[in-house]
Amino acid sequence: MNAVHISVENVNYSYEKTHPILKNITFTAKEHDCIGLIGANGVGKSTLLRLMVGLNLGYEGNICVGGIPVVKKNLSAIRKNIGYVFQDADSQLFMSNVYEDLAFAPRNYGLSESEVEERVQKALEMVHIEHLKDKQVYKMSGGEKKLVSIATILTMMPDVILMDEPSVALDPKNRRNLIHILNGFRQMKIIASHDLDMILDTCSRVILMSDGKIIRDGDVKEILFDKELLEAHGLELPFCMQGAVSV
Amino acid sequence: MNKLDSSLCDIHYMDVIVERNRWLNHIYPLIKLVVTICFITTTISFSKYDLAGILRMGVYPIIVFVLGEVSFQDALRKLRVILPVVCLIGIFNPFFDRQPMLEIAGVTVTTGMVSMFTLMVKGIYSVLASYLLIATTPIEKICHALRLLRVPVVIVTQILLTYRYIRLLMNEARHTIQAYSLRAPNQKGLHFKVWGSLVGQLLLKSIDRADGVYESMLLRGYNGEFYYDTRISCRAKDYAYLATWCTVFYCLRVII
Repeated sequence: MNAVHISVENVNYSYEKTHPILKNITFTAKEHDCIGLIGANGVGKSTLLRLMVGLNLGYEGNICVGGIPVVKKNLSAIRKNIGYVFQDADSQLFMSNVYEDLAFAPRNYGLSESEVEERVQKALEMVHIEHLKDKQVYKMSGGEKKLVSIATILTMMPDVILMDEPSVALDPKNRRNLIHILNGFRQMKIIASHDLDMILDTCSRVILMSDGKIIRDGDVKEILFDKELLEAHGLELPFCMQGAVSV
Repeated sequence: MNKLDSSLCDIHYMDVIVERNRWLNHIYPLIKLVVTICFITTTISFSKYDLAGILRMGVYPIIVFVLGEVSFQDALRKLRVILPVVCLIGIFNPFFDRQPMLEIAGVTVTTGMVSMFTLMVKGIYSVLASYLLIATTPIEKICHALRLLRVPVVIVTQILLTYRYIRLLMNEARHTIQAYSLRAPNQKGLHFKVWGSLVGQLLLKSIDRADGVYESMLLRGYNGEFYYDTRISCRAKDYAYLATWCTVFYCLRVII
């Protein structure tokens, strides 16, 4: 049995005291789990991901990553093992070219330049974008930027990958490519998305959120094929299933 | 093409020319930075009446423009905003410093006129030398060189991120203005009534974007110091480049 890697216990969080965003959130995730975090807009999916990497602190309850509580003094150790992919690739990419951006994290962790180069090359290969190595960031398309964003976290060799809407703004080909890439990762993945077809193709477990609470946590097919459940919480069946129903 | 698009193209153009495979682009960045500092220091050390001496220093920008295969016309076009400002620095000297210095074709040239030209040339040379540095060296390498010179990390980080942010800020501004003009097709430019809200929106968007970038940096181990590519090192030809220019500057300043 896999060890518990992330545990979230009775977590409550709010930006303003009168308006709670997360209410009594509890779940655990194990190594190699691939979890889809789904829910309508504004239910707190992104906030939950941000809490796990300590971008927002001051929550009630307990969040532990790899057995380490997510508190200010532990952030450095926790972030070393977590890769977080932002929804907006322009926030993720801030150096002028791809190599420099990918080298940013390993250099920060004190690796020698030859090790940095090795990691950058490996990350580029994992995402099949070796040809973009020296490309200027501003010249890239949205799809390329998203793939480079993913590569930036792979250079850290994280145990956990958190992704916020990874398929947003991707064309069908890039989206399919992204799904193949995600399925090739062995790390634990938590993917917050509205793209239920992508969740169906990449995740084995789904957490459905609504109004800041976890409504259901279980097998991906069990939840994503439940039309009534999804519609009751502002979602619809995945497109592939809608076709099946209409036939 | 509007002004914002044109400015963005200028920045993109700079990114393209620094990546070219030219001899000067491969000189070690610290050496180029030191040579640039030496040139500017030597240039501004000339007396304000030594116009001939200052003009001789023009040998540096001329040779570097040729060596680096940098277009002089493009340089003038890109510096069209800053050069007039530089030229204005000594504009009042002829009014305050009226002592006759020499006479050319019956026209009395005063010390004020000479000092005005000297200041203008010093300013133009300094701007051109800085332009040549950034036209042949990527910003990350210039920042690395600045750190090697022990320039405080706060200043270097400011330079590096400003270079990155300016593009994002201009893109945000462009999108905002495009959205406005599509809904106000009969207006030329922005109506003054919307300036406040547009600038406010732009500021808020920029702060959001800056927050996002900073969070991304933190998540990838940023602790206040940027680390740069250390694979390249100073070679014999780099030292020769430095020695040559230092000798030239010394000769132009002291011997000739």
